[in-house]
Amino acid sequence: MLNRILFYSLAAIALAAVTFFVTCNMVIQKAPEKVMSTIEARIAAGVGSWNACFHNQVYGPRTNAARRANPDSIISSMAYDLSDGPVRVAGETWPRYWSLSFYQQNSDNFFVVNDLELESSSFDFVLALEGQDTDALGGTTVVSPTAKGIMLVRRFAADASDMPGIIANQDAMTCGPID
Amino acid sequence: MKYLIALVGAILIVAATFFVARATTVKSLTSETSIFDTFEDVNGTWLFSDKIGAAAASGVERARVALGGPLGLSAKEAVYFVTQQDDDGAPLRSQCAYRITGPPIDTRWWSLALYDTITQHYVPNAENRSSWNSVSVLRADDGTWVIQVAPTPQEEAWLPSQETADKTFELMLRVYNPSDATRARLPNIELPTVERVSC
Repeated sequence: MLNRILFYSLAAIALAAVTFFVTCNMVIQKAPEKVMSTIEARIAAGVGSWNACFHNQVYGPRTNAARRANPDSIISSMAYDLSDGPVRVAGETWPRYWSLSFYQQNSDNFFVVNDLELESSSFDFVLALEGQDTDALGGTTVVSPTAKGIMLVRRFAADASDMPGIIANQDAMTCGPID
Repeated sequence: MKYLIALVGAILIVAATFFVARATTVKSLTSETSIFDTFEDVNGTWLFSDKIGAAAASGVERARVALGGPLGLSAKEAVYFVTQQDDDGAPLRSQCAYRITGPPIDTRWWSLALYDTITQHYVPNAENRSSWNSVSVLRADDGTWVIQVAPTPQEEAWLPSQETADKTFELMLRVYNPSDATRARLPNIELPTVERVSC
């Protein structure tokens, strides 16, 4: 009888321990994807669709920004979905500081380039999945590890007087699916 | 019958443990300071991480950053320092005034931003200011700079903390495109001092 109680007790503890370990790891692994999905949905809702750019055009702190967002960085963002083909991002850089970064679905920043690393003040990038044919599309191909993700373009503003120039720079930017 | 009881017991154990584990993990990942738990202590005041947005980050590091400060740049582009305390080790509090004195930082651009520790967002203020950067801040002839953090207006480079007393805040120093010399010394570069002036 005592042996049986001991057996069931140990089995229960082992089952609880395994469940606890598996659940903790599952939450830790899934959390970044859930955050990314939430941000992607917000970006897509803000601009009206996926694979389109949303431009912040307000200088300074914003209450609806992401946690610990940088107020000096004026952001253009795009929630991308490459399931139906590559997406193009093109335009002009911004001299104070400009960078283009891509985030895969687990939130890793798998690609970033800044204006000083480009050969000219123009940029033209084609974001594609492995195996998608981009040979005839021109531009510089960047391969995304996941079909969905987020693109950010950062432009730094020293103060509000930089905003007209940044907004003109945003207006000259194109982003979207390739016909 | 005894197998049925054992099966029901097992299901109850799995279900109860699942909910406890999920709640515990989420609470651990989303507490206001957990994003910094895996940051490296640089000098007793400032913390540093080069795992933001990095493929080399552990699952816990990735989850904490995603929840507490998503979409940061990888260390190839920018590095991040943060502090939640002054140079004496006391938490940064909204009713106190602080003098942040910084050295010239050999980098393309830097910014110092203030966030509410609890909300992890900006602190609303009449100036609509939550940061100073390497272009906007005034620098002395030797390149040093001073930022005054306080709840009430200051004469130079005022970074408003919230007017509500006894709230905690944090300072984040972002360093974009550090020079090769700066990068070679990371994270042991000369960092701003955080001196409590009054309280």
